[in-house]
Amino acid sequence: MADVIDNPKTITSDAVEAIVSQHDEPQWLADARRAALQHYLATPLPSNRDERWRYTELGRFSFDGLELLEEPASRQVSERIEMRITDSDAEGVLVLNGPEVIYRDHHIREEGVIFTDLRSAVHQHEELLRAHLYSAIDVRSGKYTALNAALWKNGTFVYVPKDIEVALPLGAFTTADVGGITNRRTLIVVEANAKVTFLDETTSDPFDERLFSNAATEIVLKEGAKLRYVSLQNWGRNVAHINRLRAHLGRDSRLESLTVSLGADAARAEVESRLEGPGAESEMLGLYFADKGQHYNQYTLQHHAADHAFSDLLFKGALRDGSTAVYSGVIVVDEGAQKTDAYQTNRNLLLDTESEAVSIPQLEIGANDVRCSHGSTTSPVPEDQRFYLMSRGLKPEVAEHVLVTGFLYEVMSRVTLPKVAEYVERLVQAKLGVPGVKEKL
Amino acid sequence: MAEVSLEIRNLHARIAEGDTILNGVDLSVPKGEVHALMGPNGSGKSTLAKIIAGDPSYEVTAGDILVDGQSVLELEPDERARTGLYLAFQYPVEVPGVSIANFLRLALNARRDEGDEIGVMEFYQKLQKAIAILGWDESIIERNLHEGFSGGEKKRSEILQLLVLEPKVAILDETDSGLDVDALKTVSQGVNAARGPEFSSLVITHYQRLLNYIVPDVVHVMVDGRVIRSGPKELAVDLDSKGYDWIREQVGV
Ligand SMILES: Nc1ncnc2c1ncn2[C@@H]1O[C@H](COP(=O)(O)OP(=O)(O)OP(=O)(O)O)[C@@H](O)[C@H]1O
Ligand SMILES: [Mg+2]
Repeated sequence: MADVIDNPKTITSDAVEAIVSQHDEPQWLADARRAALQHYLATPLPSNRDERWRYTELGRFSFDGLELLEEPASRQVSERIEMRITDSDAEGVLVLNGPEVIYRDHHIREEGVIFTDLRSAVHQHEELLRAHLYSAIDVRSGKYTALNAALWKNGTFVYVPKDIEVALPLGAFTTADVGGITNRRTLIVVEANAKVTFLDETTSDPFDERLFSNAATEIVLKEGAKLRYVSLQNWGRNVAHINRLRAHLGRDSRLESLTVSLGADAARAEVESRLEGPGAESEMLGLYFADKGQHYNQYTLQHHAADHAFSDLLFKGALRDGSTAVYSGVIVVDEGAQKTDAYQTNRNLLLDTESEAVSIPQLEIGANDVRCSHGSTTSPVPEDQRFYLMSRGLKPEVAEHVLVTGFLYEVMSRVTLPKVAEYVERLVQAKLGVPGVKEKL
Repeated sequence: MAEVSLEIRNLHARIAEGDTILNGVDLSVPKGEVHALMGPNGSGKSTLAKIIAGDPSYEVTAGDILVDGQSVLELEPDERARTGLYLAFQYPVEVPGVSIANFLRLALNARRDEGDEIGVMEFYQKLQKAIAILGWDESIIERNLHEGFSGGEKKRSEILQLLVLEPKVAILDETDSGLDVDALKTVSQGVNAARGPEFSSLVITHYQRLLNYIVPDVVHVMVDGRVIRSGPKELAVDLDSKGYDWIREQVGV
């Protein structure tokens, strides 16, 4: 197949077998990896003709010439992550540098909660993994997805048993200190009527050698389960990042997801909810602030497979200094998914004329008794607001900060985790260059 | 002669690349005085006010604006504000996501050096004093800037900001319209509290009733982008009863 030439030489069945034997993995997992690799090799790279990838600056997600990430250079937890851990109030903490766990701290008080790295979970919780791994994301659904499925080396596993409510957040803080390809996988399973908050954060210094971070997150919510999931992408520069997040929501379950993009050169967030049980609710918030030529790309899916389910999506982003953003989102309502309530909004604020945003909201409705709406806007800074702020003496950069904060407020005000909201606000301010605000984590 | 703190000299201006609105405005407000600016709808009062404050959507084609004898034409709106100019807008905008308190702190700190930010106590004392003058509830300062404010609340907010920022020259653009009599008194109290030998103000209004509370030293009348008449406070009373046509006839426009 001609497309095989697109693949870096390092991505071969030898690489898969090496992981399988190094980690002494069970047969079912080895087979799944092999199937994923076959799919990967047989699948061409995405093209702009593909609806999901329209307008994506595909070249910026290339991983040609990169090696699979092995050992990190250091096992030291950076000061920035240390401060972030303290500030997050997390009762379970995992720090990964590339595929290696460099720190863990468990003081989870609730009974039966599992919070560990995915590699360890393969052996310690094999039955749970066998039942759930690859269940929300089919290994055969796309090039990057298959790459992750075949070659992931580590990530996080969260399991909350029936009826257990975890009071404080669990947090996985991921970094890397050498370039290459890293495939991180996260699996979150919340049993019936259980409840948990999970923070999935990436941060790093800028890279000398390019990093391609190809992450996948599977979420399985059983009947009445509740999950607050925060994805906070703050990689240093010279990084291309993809995170595919896909959740399966059972009857009356609720997912509140927040996807924040601030770092990397090019970042793609795929956020998909499949509402499988009646009464399921998915609130999907997204926030991005791109500058200095960054490219942010988001694909979202609200798939209503069951009746009486609710989904509400709001993605807002600000752009400046020749940066670009693409938002492409679909609401799919299956035949029979009556009484669906589904909303989708994307708004972009352009801080200068060099930056651009494309927004493609779509509806595919197969039922007749539904309430759905979608909308998008891309607009420059309201000059009357800017003038008003400056007429009170605010310097242009401070006025811009107020306007960006004001624009993003609609999202921030819906974040139910005050600590996270504060932190995100500080990161945005630091990126805006607000005097006196450092990116202290 | 008293020092002049705001002086408009033969000001011609237009909407950026559009229609001309001001056709040679001359007007000066000496230090310590309060002047009224009246005139029919669409005569250019708000345009003048916004141009003084530096609104980039207008273009000055001739003339000059001086504050304390210094031209401010080349200054950005924020720089003008920091020289002590203040505009209470006819239509204050809403800015979501920033509380009045935070906004005013930013505005005050913009007037100070980096590292010399205003202290928490000093800031709240200033705010509380202003809130008390306006007889307002303290919770107002935690609300987002004008978000969901009624027309009257927005006007009060403009005066609250004036009291906190303590400008040298304040232009009030129809701060009285849409206010009931009680609110009118409160707002006037706010302005009168700011009055003093170092404070000058240009009060734009359609109504004589405001001028009973804020008594002007001089009344200017603007018609078709020009000040066609300036006179003592009694001029406002005449205008109230006789209308603008009377003055148009008098000066022959
Ligand atoms: N940005 C603008 N775009 C278009 N027209 C404008 C603009 N600004 C002012 N004008 C026009 O200029 C004229 C003067 O307007 P301005 O708002 O200054 O009047 P005013 O004297 O304040 O009126 P009012 O008493 O009704 O407040 C009006 O005809 C108005 O429509
Ligand atoms: Mg007006």
